[in-house]
Amino acid sequence: MRIAPEIRAVMAAPNRIPPRNPAWTAIGYLVLIVFAVVFLMPLYVMVVTSLKSMDEIRLGHIFALPRAPALDAWDTAWNKASSGFLNKGLKSGFWNSIKILVPSLLMSVAVSSICGYALACWNVKGGGALLSLLLICAFVPFQIIMYPLIKMASWVKLYNTSFGVSVVHTILAVPILTMIYKNFFASIPTDLIKASRVDGGRFLGTFVHVALPLSGNIMIVVAILQITGIWNDFLVGLTFAKVTAYPMTVNLNNITQTQTGVKLYNVHMAAALLTAIPPLVIYFISGKLFIRGITAGALKG
Amino acid sequence: MSQDRDISAPSPPAAPRGARRTRFIHKYAAYIAVVPVLLVAFGFYFGSTVWSMVMSLTASRVFPDLTFVGFRQYVRLFHDDVWVLSLQNLLIFVLGSVGSLVLGFLLAVLLDGKTMGERVFRTIYLYPLAISLIITGLVWQWLFNPSMGLQQFFRDLGLKDFDFNWVGSKSKVMYAIIMAAVWQSAGFYMVLSSSGIKGIDSEIWQASRVDGISKLRMYIEVIIPMMKFTFLTAFVLLSIGAVKAYDIIVAMTNGGPGGHSELPSYYIVDMYMYRHNIAVGASGSTILLLLVVACMLPFGIVNLVLRRRR
Repeated sequence: MRIAPEIRAVMAAPNRIPPRNPAWTAIGYLVLIVFAVVFLMPLYVMVVTSLKSMDEIRLGHIFALPRAPALDAWDTAWNKASSGFLNKGLKSGFWNSIKILVPSLLMSVAVSSICGYALACWNVKGGGALLSLLLICAFVPFQIIMYPLIKMASWVKLYNTSFGVSVVHTILAVPILTMIYKNFFASIPTDLIKASRVDGGRFLGTFVHVALPLSGNIMIVVAILQITGIWNDFLVGLTFAKVTAYPMTVNLNNITQTQTGVKLYNVHMAAALLTAIPPLVIYFISGKLFIRGITAGALKG
Repeated sequence: MSQDRDISAPSPPAAPRGARRTRFIHKYAAYIAVVPVLLVAFGFYFGSTVWSMVMSLTASRVFPDLTFVGFRQYVRLFHDDVWVLSLQNLLIFVLGSVGSLVLGFLLAVLLDGKTMGERVFRTIYLYPLAISLIITGLVWQWLFNPSMGLQQFFRDLGLKDFDFNWVGSKSKVMYAIIMAAVWQSAGFYMVLSSSGIKGIDSEIWQASRVDGISKLRMYIEVIIPMMKFTFLTAFVLLSIGAVKAYDIIVAMTNGGPGGHSELPSYYIVDMYMYRHNIAVGASGSTILLLLVVACMLPFGIVNLVLRRRR
């Protein structure tokens, strides 16, 4: 759209959106607030329900504040809730999730960062074709590779182990992470890499001394993406771990769906909140970087 | 890759004897670094996909059996009412998931240009994205609880006939799942729409001011058409997300009542893990892959059209 320069000069206002009718602004804020309330409502319900007794819950006042807030349900959820298999609560699931998370985070970052660096900064023949292939891999649904992966994992005795789950998470992360790292390292000025070569730096030396020191932010973005993604995973943990190695999400689902006894909704909500706390803490701390992480990892679905 | 990136052509100084192996490593270091990813792509993705496709053509049941039966398993699959129902549910789910995009875009529009509290609102709309879909499913199942959830709340307010037992209703269960899914993912589409809106030239806004065009008309006639690629990307992502959705079904309904909330991805895992039929599971997962490909078709078509225009 073309604008005559004299008109442009008239429009000296720095705001790109002109001031509008204040009534509209008020309505806009009203809608935003209504949706904010709707979005917060499930979290609020989880918190108040987890602090109530079952007798109080049965009264059916879902939004009422607890009369005598108590952390009993939290204690039960963490220490002794029954998952149908074990009565050890969520805490074993918490540690299993940590045991799954740490190796898969390290392995996926190690493998994909160095490959992304190779593809971006060194002239690897066929690199473009590999990237196209990785893009396709990132879209492949897990279900179609699930059965063969289970078979392969049992050949190498990794099926039903925490480490096996870590390996599967690594496999699932490598395509998207390699693309993220490749895009990042391609933005490093070529001169820096060249200078390092002139100084005698080789592939690994340049990676460690030039590329890595520049990649603080992208490492954090990837870590956020991976930690929240792996922590919230359910399907891989369910299909590749045995009962004693189930991650927290599978543990949570078993606790809430166990058929024995009455359903303890306060315990279920406390268990859900306990499972949600780690990723929520990361979300609130990381802010903008979290958004970068989820948009970069959008393909993962 | 451009010419000036070609810096791997090695010209190492004359290496001392016995250093041939290290020289080899240095020369091909970049290739060695690519090998693990290459193995993952070919071994685990390509290999496994072909493997599953082959299994889908065999007579395997609980154990693999390499007797080829052609497409008989696919015929069996499509004779299973639950599978057909799961495909119908998927269609409803994809269409309903568009709600995430609509709501996300609306929130992005309302937030655009607001400085007061913008970060607080964004933080609130996005937090569901950080939590597991198992938790989303669980809390929405609780909200839909007929005697202790939202239904009771509205009945207590005086709406005696208020029916919100969607999770227990064959005809409404998919809408319950869509509601939970929209709550979970609207924030993501808000972020996507926000970056689309920010990408629009500010001169267009100034021009609209000069011409005295209302903001609403601007959005409908100018901004939304300009953002068509953002919407296309969003639609592809949300339909793929719907095809892959699994956790939320498990946590909220377990496919019930009577299979009326089963999705293909759920059906396949059920087939493999609990009904132990490898070949039917494999044929279902092949269809699932085709569905993902179909979701990506809009991208391919747009690319083709753009290339022809050039």
